[in-house]
Amino acid sequence: MPRVTPGHATRQRRKRILKDAKGYRASRSTLFRPAKQTVIKAGQYAFRDRRVRKREFRALWIIRVSAACDARGISYSHFINGLKKAGVFLNRKMLSEVAIADAPAFDKLVEMAKKAATA
Amino acid sequence: MKTANKCYQASPATLDRRWYVVDARDQVLGRLAVRIATVLMGKHKPTYTPHVDTGDFVVVLNAGKVKVTGTRKKQQVVYQRYSGYPSGLREITMETMLQRHPERVLEYAVRRMLPKNALARKMLSKLKLYAGDQHPHQAQQPEPLPN
Repeated sequence: MPRVTPGHATRQRRKRILKDAKGYRASRSTLFRPAKQTVIKAGQYAFRDRRVRKREFRALWIIRVSAACDARGISYSHFINGLKKAGVFLNRKMLSEVAIADAPAFDKLVEMAKKAATA
Repeated sequence: MKTANKCYQASPATLDRRWYVVDARDQVLGRLAVRIATVLMGKHKPTYTPHVDTGDFVVVLNAGKVKVTGTRKKQQVVYQRYSGYPSGLREITMETMLQRHPERVLEYAVRRMLPKNALARKMLSKLKLYAGDQHPHQAQQPEPLPN
């Protein structure tokens, strides 16, 4: 039986990791050990931040809707409360897009919210 | 329910930049600084985008004539900077600052309300402070600052 050394398999496995580590700074992109650690950590961050992204966007939409509300003399919380009572179930993303693209429509929404809040 | 996958993002090319002017005389320092900072950041517009400077310009007149509430606050608020050398801490109270650089008190208040990053320095460059009641931005036709 010829002697089998793992040279080829090892090189292939390390190449795979180093390929994922392209663009990292310093030894993290060139040396196997730092590269492997960094790739694993990058995966953890990516997993976490796919979830964090959803919160960040919701926060952004709320800031935008709030700005549009302030300009029309109603606070964000009263606006949302009014819409809920009026049976308008647009989500915050759509509300923010309406505020940007179609100001007259947003005026109407504010009107509806104000009416429903006092009724 | 099907919704759009991408939401609006402001880009420098499509910005709508306005100019506002406000008289700081007898306005409470912090209350005024909040309003100015909001406009500089662009948070008063539905097109606000965190990584783009969507804010407007603000011209402030009589910047040193702001009101500071509290009987001793002018003596108690101290602006500090450190030169990096031993015993290089410089301290200056708000009272002396108002005499030496009247517009700097409001500038510091606004600056500390902005985010702490490179974008904040761009935002701050849109703030034009004047100790007097004249300003050289007539050509921009500034409107009064909204509340």
